Amino acid sequence: MRVQNKEKISQRLRSYKKQPLSALLFLLVMFSAVVTLSVLIALIAYILFKGIPNLSPELFAWEYTTENVSMMPAIINTLIITALSLLFALPIGIASAIYLVEYAKRGNKLVSLVRVTTETLSGIPSIVYGLFGYLFFNIFLEWSYTILGGALTLAIMILPLIMRTTEEALIAVPDLYREGSFGLGAGKLRTVFRIVLPSAVPGILAGVILAIGRIVGETAALLYPAGTAAQVADGLMSSGRTLAVHMYALLNEGLYMEQAYATAVVLLVMVIGINALSGLIAKKVGVKE
Amino acid sequence: MKKFFALALTMAVAVSALTGCGGSGEETTGGDTAASGSISVVSREDGSGTRGAFIELFGIEAENEAGEKVDYTTQTAEITNSTAVMMTTVAGNKNAIGYISLGSLDDSVKALKIDGADATVENIKSGTYKVSRPFNIATKADLSDVASDFITFILSDEGQAVVEENGYISEGSAGTYTASGMSGKIVIAGSSSVTPVMEKLKEAYIALNPDVTIEVQQNDSTTGMTSVAEGGCDIGMASREVKDSELEKGLQPTTIALDGIAVIVNQENSISDMTSETVKSIFTGEITDWSEIA
Amino acid sequence: MKIVFLLAACFSILAVALICIFLFANGVPAIWKIGVLDFLLGQKWMPANQLFGIFPMIVGSVYVTAGAIIVGVPMGILCAVFLARFCPERLYKIVKPAVSLLAGIPSIVYGFFGLVVIVPIMQDLTGGNGKGVLTASILLGIMILPTVIGVSESAIRAVPNSYYEGALALGATHERSVFFTLLPAAKQGILAGVILGVGRAIGETMAVIMIAGNQPVVPDSIFGGVRTLTANIVMEMGYAADLHREALLGTGVVLFVFILIINLSFSALKRRRS
Repeated sequence: MRVQNKEKISQRLRSYKKQPLSALLFLLVMFSAVVTLSVLIALIAYILFKGIPNLSPELFAWEYTTENVSMMPAIINTLIITALSLLFALPIGIASAIYLVEYAKRGNKLVSLVRVTTETLSGIPSIVYGLFGYLFFNIFLEWSYTILGGALTLAIMILPLIMRTTEEALIAVPDLYREGSFGLGAGKLRTVFRIVLPSAVPGILAGVILAIGRIVGETAALLYPAGTAAQVADGLMSSGRTLAVHMYALLNEGLYMEQAYATAVVLLVMVIGINALSGLIAKKVGVKE
Repeated sequence: MKKFFALALTMAVAVSALTGCGGSGEETTGGDTAASGSISVVSREDGSGTRGAFIELFGIEAENEAGEKVDYTTQTAEITNSTAVMMTTVAGNKNAIGYISLGSLDDSVKALKIDGADATVENIKSGTYKVSRPFNIATKADLSDVASDFITFILSDEGQAVVEENGYISEGSAGTYTASGMSGKIVIAGSSSVTPVMEKLKEAYIALNPDVTIEVQQNDSTTGMTSVAEGGCDIGMASREVKDSELEKGLQPTTIALDGIAVIVNQENSISDMTSETVKSIFTGEITDWSEIA
Repeated sequence: MKIVFLLAACFSILAVALICIFLFANGVPAIWKIGVLDFLLGQKWMPANQLFGIFPMIVGSVYVTAGAIIVGVPMGILCAVFLARFCPERLYKIVKPAVSLLAGIPSIVYGFFGLVVIVPIMQDLTGGNGKGVLTASILLGIMILPTVIGVSESAIRAVPNSYYEGALALGATHERSVFFTLLPAAKQGILAGVILGVGRAIGETMAVIMIAGNQPVVPDSIFGGVRTLTANIVMEMGYAADLHREALLGTGVVLFVFILIINLSFSALKRRRS
């Protein structure tokens, strides 16, 4: 095997001598792959290197005080806001996807409008979402800074993501299932909920995890609607900061640099965990097929 | 074919830029540490309380012919909205100069003497270090009992002791405070400069009155003032004077502390003393190189 | 029940409509008050003196985005080629998740990394303060990599293998076959990836604000400091009152219009492909 490999390599090298352009292209490809990976490694190594020495049990105390600068309330707020956003975005997103895949007729004007707007939504930068959230919830509805406003803003932001992944998952369900269900006398609705949707669950789940990843890392869209209070929000209508906003706030006054580094580590670990989870689910989907 | 050549070329440029960074990471900062090199001016964003106080105190803000106040900060000044970015920038660039709240100062940067006076709490009190600004809180007339009790605490000996402990300057206190045993909720919002000391005050107050909950919103002076006026919070914080237009809305300002503004440079910078005239010239862009400063 | 699904589907239309209405209703009057030309082409941004010209910020956003494309797009496409055609199976299982991890890292973390790692390096290289168009371009170039890589890779993979085999059969090397048959065939998909990347670069806020210098002037060189539209909003929104606040919302409107143009061209491209 090894010998074969060597032969292959030497053969390749010989051909590169004759083909300088190919050699150059090969080098460029390899080079950019190496650079991309090393940037990622540098980024992660740097955060871990700077942050881990600053991690201490104090940072995970239940109450935030200026002494411990705990990030626990921020972590809890992140969970609350994530749950709330999903609570709003999931039903709407899944229902829209069901309409688009199972009910809508081809070439329907409304459908193309929905598609264009969904694409628009997914392209809007988070700062514009933040401005909108502020104008709509804080000014127009006259709420003060609330996690509900923040969660609703994020729900709109992740809606296109959920719609798209659900749509793809639904399309991937073979028509055979539907025909089988109809053949056995099931109605449209029953077919959708009992047959199609369950088979699409892993795909939908993958979308949910992507959405969670986006929520966890979001700062600009939350700053204005949800505010920056450092406590666990004591109700939907009170303010609370998520972990990313917490890091932003810590950096703002420059008093808590070490804690900001530590927060970055926790954020990174969360993101890696979320990614690993989505990889796992993707693998499961693959196995099923 | 041509397209790909162009592609390869742009890529080569990009790649060389990237490898350039990768390779030179180990290089130490070359050159001497003496005062030379073009000055990197770092300033805060327009509207920031810190910037407002800074340009006013150093005369960087002046009236033009039409009688309007104009901020003459040089257009080439780097702008940041975060004290941490300001400090990291100055700590990492030996030619940089910036300014921060005295309460945020640490060893990563060097605070300059202004007109021979060190930036210390004592010098601000005695009046030799002149670069300071008030930390104000503002309330409306219909203040809740618990909020007014909290303000009593802030202005008391105990409250002002907290202020001093954190590197801010007390303007004298109004007697001792006795815990009232009240309960309720206070919402405070406003300047991110005042937030750190307000959080300390809140903790000290809650230690005495455990039934009170206080929510501190860190945003900015103007938002703080507006939300008090509109009833969004009980107490607003401002790291500047309360404007006339805000007073018209029925706000009652109270000064709870003074905060010095430290002019900061890199630790390697050999200069440690500067006249306020020089600071002004640097920030208005008249002096652009360290060698011009004797 | 169909009605319920239909209503849900209409929600995204409602959301876009709401965003448009609220943004335009709050931003456009200010643009009129300042004067459309004064606002868009004004060189001076001095809110304290009622001068609201966002031309430097528009230029800034364009420069930084263009820089990000120059840095990120060739890298991204080459990386996608690597993943699709050069990468051994075993390595792929590591590299692919790594690239998607790059997409998941919060932008504020990128910004901080840029501030403490890239900026000092640029200071050494250029002798200036290290913040500016080039620094922002490099960081944004890195940030758009995952987008460009992901879309380009699937576009390259979507090209029928017979193209590649045909080229090989005609005696082309592996590299030539990939670059001169597969890439041109996948060009529309790759373009879509680039457009998505542009959208991400132009809308990026929290990272850019830490490393661009944020001077409200048109930069005089690629090392010069620059302020983007997004940075302008997030830096001053907190303090702004009255016309200043509305001018910032107006900045948001301009940014939104930019994004709309990019999105519409993206959908147009997609429709042409299908």
